[in-house]
Amino acid sequence: MSNPKRLHPAAVIFRVISILRNLIFVIGATIIATMGNDFFNYIALGIAGLISLFIITSVIEWFRFRYSVVGDELRIEQGLIVRKKRYISKNRVQSIDLTQGVIHRLFNLTKVQIETAGSDLSTDASLSAVTLEEGQALRNELKYHNGETVESEYIDETEQEEEQHYTKETISTKRLVIAGSTSGSIGVIIGLFIVLFSEVERFIPTHVYDDAMSWFLTQTISVLMVLALIVLIFLWVLGILGTVIKYGNFEITRYEDELYITRGLLEKKQVTIPLKRIQALGIKESMVRQPLGFATLYVEIAGGEGGQNARTFIFPILKRNEVTPFLEKILPEYQLVANEFTGVPNRSAPYYMLRASFLPIIVLIVTLIFATDFWYLPFVLILLAMSLGWWRMKTAGYCIDQDHLIFRSRDFSKDTIMMKHNRVQSIQLRQTLLHRKQRIATVQSSILNNFAGRHAGVRELDFEHAKRITDWYSLQKRIF
Amino acid sequence: MREAPKNRIAKDAIKAWRLSAALVMLVPWGLAIASFFLVHFIEVTYWYSISAVALLIVVTYFMVVIVPKIRWRRWRYELFEQEIYIQHGILVVSRTLVPMIRVQHVDTKQGPILKRYRLSNLTISTAATVHEIPALPEKEAADLRDQISELARVDEDDV
Repeated sequence: MSNPKRLHPAAVIFRVISILRNLIFVIGATIIATMGNDFFNYIALGIAGLISLFIITSVIEWFRFRYSVVGDELRIEQGLIVRKKRYISKNRVQSIDLTQGVIHRLFNLTKVQIETAGSDLSTDASLSAVTLEEGQALRNELKYHNGETVESEYIDETEQEEEQHYTKETISTKRLVIAGSTSGSIGVIIGLFIVLFSEVERFIPTHVYDDAMSWFLTQTISVLMVLALIVLIFLWVLGILGTVIKYGNFEITRYEDELYITRGLLEKKQVTIPLKRIQALGIKESMVRQPLGFATLYVEIAGGEGGQNARTFIFPILKRNEVTPFLEKILPEYQLVANEFTGVPNRSAPYYMLRASFLPIIVLIVTLIFATDFWYLPFVLILLAMSLGWWRMKTAGYCIDQDHLIFRSRDFSKDTIMMKHNRVQSIQLRQTLLHRKQRIATVQSSILNNFAGRHAGVRELDFEHAKRITDWYSLQKRIF
Repeated sequence: MREAPKNRIAKDAIKAWRLSAALVMLVPWGLAIASFFLVHFIEVTYWYSISAVALLIVVTYFMVVIVPKIRWRRWRYELFEQEIYIQHGILVVSRTLVPMIRVQHVDTKQGPILKRYRLSNLTISTAATVHEIPALPEKEAADLRDQISELARVDEDDV
């Protein structure tokens, strides 16, 4: 692998597609605006010229892009006008992810993303299209440090051997369907639909639109209800489908010092998570899933992927009582101790309920001033918010053992986050004057993730317990 | 967490904070005075301007006289071999523990006002958070910075 290589020519296609995707609105708007106009031909010609220019530059970019593995380094040379060379030392490579999109799979290609420790995106390298064997070879070569190279022919064998050695977990389609139907992505899809509709609307001829509208308005309410229900069910099924496609064939494997995840039906994704980059483990139970006894597992990792999704799911859905066996198999470092959580004292309830109903109270005041007749609407809202506050208070709690700290909290979903002593960056104890009189305090721990860091904690905990957490964290006490 | 940290920051901090608060308050005062001239040109009563000045007097008293004093009284810090212990806050009092092994770097900073009183701010950064001990005597801040960076070198951890 010492001589410089180019990417697979399909990389040109990806480059062009990504440029066009960024410009699609500009181009589309220009075309629509000038449709039927005298200048239309010139505009079309201009756009065609622009696109061919993109294609040419993409071809040259592809031509200039070379990569090679020399000794302990991955070297990448690129640049159309400004030539850029990047050398990444093997020791600095944190993880190598392979992703196969639909087009990739047609040509049996893969995208290779090489991540280094920094959270800065510009320090990472990405090869947009290489053949699958090449990608796997590259991963093997970069993963084994100290120049201990493995010939690509043996990879298949070694992988088979590994499969026997290492534990792995997969997910059943039934579970995926459950995950999809409780994912709550319906809202997102409805949003998308509305946006899409407002875009498409202008292409519908006016008379068709008017006819449809007048038919729609003459229907009885029951028919409209049925229609709405059908649309909702359709969207729901779409949501399920989305989840099944995204997490289909989900498989997580535990290697010695990393987790390896493959997932996706259409777009295949392979992700490696080195254990030492894991900062915390979280169990999330959304309001829909909690009563059904389902939860989602995620980890907070430092560096890498860069902000787009701060947390990485290590299992899309599993039963609450399967969490412990799962962790035993896949991530024994983060065993959930017992479920003996220490909660928040009842005297903190007013804080929780007031905080939750802050917005509705403002709404109530506004309605009392401007629309006195509807005072009961925000009133109901306040009651709902207060019960949410009460619920939050009941959920909040902590649990500590030798070197783990677990916080449990709720915004809408119940979130249990587990941190190791040496992964907590700092701990803060906060008290207002009122808190001090009532002997309660808020405790907050800061951990690192690939976004901007995260704070987890318990509000208005009993002061003695708050002290217990800070004492647990304090290295001073541990030593003397 | 045990009792409050032992060390206080420099007493001159109150003076420095008062000076900077006074400088900040100059802006609304300028606007209030300008409003008197404005009233001269457009027909509004003087009462708006007068009540604004009355309000400003109260706010200024708070910001310049009371707040710096309370802030100084609350700010405390203590350095241990393994961790840094900081307390601050006016209405909400927070106490923070930062382990030495988490410290990434320490800075001292000094603006023109602090320089006048020969003080400087000390900032301690971890990978995820930034903590500050403000208004320490120059010499003490520099010593503390060197000391922390010395102690922070203890362990080579991943993050």
